[in-house]
Amino acid sequence: MHRLLARQIRQATDETGQVDVTRLGELVSAAYEESDGDRRRTDRAIKLMIEELEQTHKRAEQDLLRAREFLDSIIENIPIAVFAKDARDSRYVLLNRAGEEYYGMPREEMLGKTPEQIFPREIARAVSEQDRRVVDSGTPMFLEGHLLEVGVNGHDRLVNSRKLLVRDSNGAPQYLVGVIEDVTERITNEARISHLAHHDALTDLPNRSAFNAALEERLEQAQEGSTSFAVLSLDLDRFKEVNDVFGHPVGDMLMRAAADRLAAEADGAFVARIGGDEFMILMPDDIRREDVLTLAERLVEVIGKELEVDDYLSQVGVSVGIAVYPDDGVDAATLLANADSALYRAKREGRGRVCFFESEMDQELRDRRLLQHDLRQALEQNQFLVYFQPQARMDGEVIGFEALLRWNHPTRGFVPPDQFIPLAEENGLIIQIGEWVLREACREAASWPRPLQVAVNLSPVQFQAGDLERAIHQILLETGLSPTRLEVEITEGVLIGDFTRALNLLRRLKALGIRIAMDDFGTGYSSLSYLQSFPFDKIKIDRSFISNLETTPQSAEIVRAVLSLAHALNMPVVAEGVETEAQRAFLEREACEEMQGYLVGRPDLIERYLDLIGVAVERRLYG
Amino acid sequence: MQIQYLHWNAAYGWRGADALREPAQLVLYFGGREGLAGGDRYRELRDLYPDSHIVGCSTGGQIHGDDIADDEVVAVALCFARTQVRLVDEVIESREASRACGARLARQVTAEDLAGLFVLSDGLSVNGGELLAGITEVLGPDVPVTGGLAGDGTQFEQTLVGADGEPLPNRVAAIGFYGASFRFAHGCAGGWDVFGPRRKVTKSEGPVVVELDGEPPLDLYTRYLGDEEAAAMPGSGLAFPLRIHDEAEPHRQIVRSVFAVDRNAGTLTFAADIPEGCTAQLMRANFDSLAAGAGEAGRQARSALADGIEGDKLAILVSCTGRRRVMGQRTQDELDAVAAELGDDVVRIGFYSYGEIAPPAATGRCELHNQTMTVTMIAEAAA
Repeated sequence: MHRLLARQIRQATDETGQVDVTRLGELVSAAYEESDGDRRRTDRAIKLMIEELEQTHKRAEQDLLRAREFLDSIIENIPIAVFAKDARDSRYVLLNRAGEEYYGMPREEMLGKTPEQIFPREIARAVSEQDRRVVDSGTPMFLEGHLLEVGVNGHDRLVNSRKLLVRDSNGAPQYLVGVIEDVTERITNEARISHLAHHDALTDLPNRSAFNAALEERLEQAQEGSTSFAVLSLDLDRFKEVNDVFGHPVGDMLMRAAADRLAAEADGAFVARIGGDEFMILMPDDIRREDVLTLAERLVEVIGKELEVDDYLSQVGVSVGIAVYPDDGVDAATLLANADSALYRAKREGRGRVCFFESEMDQELRDRRLLQHDLRQALEQNQFLVYFQPQARMDGEVIGFEALLRWNHPTRGFVPPDQFIPLAEENGLIIQIGEWVLREACREAASWPRPLQVAVNLSPVQFQAGDLERAIHQILLETGLSPTRLEVEITEGVLIGDFTRALNLLRRLKALGIRIAMDDFGTGYSSLSYLQSFPFDKIKIDRSFISNLETTPQSAEIVRAVLSLAHALNMPVVAEGVETEAQRAFLEREACEEMQGYLVGRPDLIERYLDLIGVAVERRLYG
Repeated sequence: MQIQYLHWNAAYGWRGADALREPAQLVLYFGGREGLAGGDRYRELRDLYPDSHIVGCSTGGQIHGDDIADDEVVAVALCFARTQVRLVDEVIESREASRACGARLARQVTAEDLAGLFVLSDGLSVNGGELLAGITEVLGPDVPVTGGLAGDGTQFEQTLVGADGEPLPNRVAAIGFYGASFRFAHGCAGGWDVFGPRRKVTKSEGPVVVELDGEPPLDLYTRYLGDEEAAAMPGSGLAFPLRIHDEAEPHRQIVRSVFAVDRNAGTLTFAADIPEGCTAQLMRANFDSLAAGAGEAGRQARSALADGIEGDKLAILVSCTGRRRVMGQRTQDELDAVAAELGDDVVRIGFYSYGEIAPPAATGRCELHNQTMTVTMIAEAAA
């Protein structure tokens, strides 16, 4: 009998042993109801629990799916090739977009296939061997910067790749996961950055820091091996003009062309561009001075050849200074400074030259720097003067003056113009000085009672930089001098370089009424094409021809030829440096129009020529 | 120790075994709320035991021997040979004052030779967890504390505790047993199993759970109980206690059953605090597993009681009202299971409570339980 029923019977039995059937029925019925209730509750709980667990499961599945989609989208979009293979047979089971690009085929062609089914036999064998190694050893494989072995891009890509094994929950090999990163760009960039650090971007020659390193290394070797070597300092002549006139693109092309020529010619030497238009060359050990000189002269010759750049015919030259270890210095600083000194000397002696360092150059260089320093102060301290030299017809009638710049240095005295003018042109001071001379000359001329003409020299630098036209215009307005009384004298240098620009400027000046004279004709190139291209108002024959008239017959012939040429072109000629009556007579005979020289009058302060300009001495002195 | 067992019913008044040879130091009694209210039973006992401490509480059913009675009042009078007994009681002002109240009680009983503490507390207006925390704070972990929260059937209206006086609400009584001869053993087990998904207590305020998985907890219980049974909340909610898992104390086995319902807010109040953020899982049981759980509690208590006992042995069974509700007529099975473990030589008395107090076997730290059977054994060793 069930324990509960026994209890119920006991409870329904009274003290006499009589069973109360109604009471027993109630108890049994209640027990059934309790049982039913419990079962209902249990059933309900089980049903709900299943529902809840299903929901939880579904939620978890959705979370898992979302997480998977999230990871998938990351894997799909990272720019690194990612693949996964079945660890047992190397069949591809996953490939991302970057992977498709890497292998050069859509994933449909790879998924489910083994390397043997996809790649050529050799590659497939290499890939499978790698796979086996990783699976068997269980250790990941890392390869850095190795050449690509598969992929359609060919064998010119560098990649970092890694493969690692993923095990299942039982620890058995399940997947091989691989990533392949194309590092070609990075490695090339690194190499380029390293190259850039040691090379000049424009010419691709070694730069200053590379040169310094090479020099230091060479010094050490030379000290140990007791050898000698030469350092060449080079500077392109007139490169700055090219840059200013033609613009930087042309300048750059010219620089590259010049650099190429240097490097080709100095084959075997270390050629570096150390800035601007400066180069350094480190010659091989134990080369004789004569051989160094030969090379340097060859460089001058080669660079001096005309270069055709962007339809322009340009010409630059090069000056070379040479210092030799150990004679001219045993450390880098001294060697470089002395090579530079030699270079300055070369430039000063006329460009396109080669100079070895000599000890007195040190002093010269110091002097030159001092002079340059003084030059800057000269304008402020009114050390400049304008001298006037009369110009006359052949019969002696003075028709005007040439204004000439003089520098009266407080301690040096008068500094020759051929010493300080190139300096002023180099550092650009010529622009201010030139304007000052022009202003002084115009002011002076405007005050003369007689309307004589005044001639002023213009430097090529004034044509290249600054606004010369505006400056002249301004000065004429300020001084009130009629433009027809002003004559500007230019040399060929003005027309070399940006010929068109210079020509346009000359035309505009001429349009103002200013006369233009070609100075120093017969020296330099004396290109006849210049005479053809611009209607000069005058041609001035250089003094060197006049002073040699009586001694060298060739000079007379040249003067004659120039005169006939000028007359043919309808251009009057002024002869410079006329000092004797014989010279005057020759020129008159040959129908030269005007003359200038000691015969007419020396350059001097205008006070010396008061009578010529129409000022009575008394009025000038006391008026 | 000598025990006199007696009981009261409306028809015959107090009846019992032979009177003790010596005066009893302590009388324990348990009865329904209506039976105890008014204090008549207390006064009758006082007449019978003028010099004894008399302590009792209302219940959800009294246990005497193998039987459960709702209409009778059951009592035992205890006469110790070498044990001193001290009775203290406190009025609890509010739920929030539970911890302070526990500490006050403990300070009154604490002594070097305190060998055990048996606590009877109001079952509705006390935060049982906090009360015990206050007690163990003072006594430390080494003094065993057992007892229970008074009950009120399945009505959850008012519970009474009396300590040398008429049983009244908002009372806590504690009996301290002193001396080296005193033997105090206990067991505690449930027999419930977790089921269904783990849920997060997303919002709680002390013992009030506001949201489970972002949903009012009443909705969950209504789903599981069905509308009909849900109408009988909180009583019907006892069928589904909550197993609480607190990350901060991962080894604590905490079971909590519903004590009160706010039908408007959909919130449930439990017997002790349920921390926000912890995990909760529903529990359920069948008749057999509950009975087996009770047997386990009996086994623990019996095996913890050392040999060399002199005189009678008393087992006080405090079982949860929720168990009785679930088991119905089968409740008897759990008493049988305990009896089988304890053996014939142990006097059994006890009650169905709103909360059981005993150190669980796992931690040994005194805890408030729900839905368990706890067995406290009291005896004296031979001199």
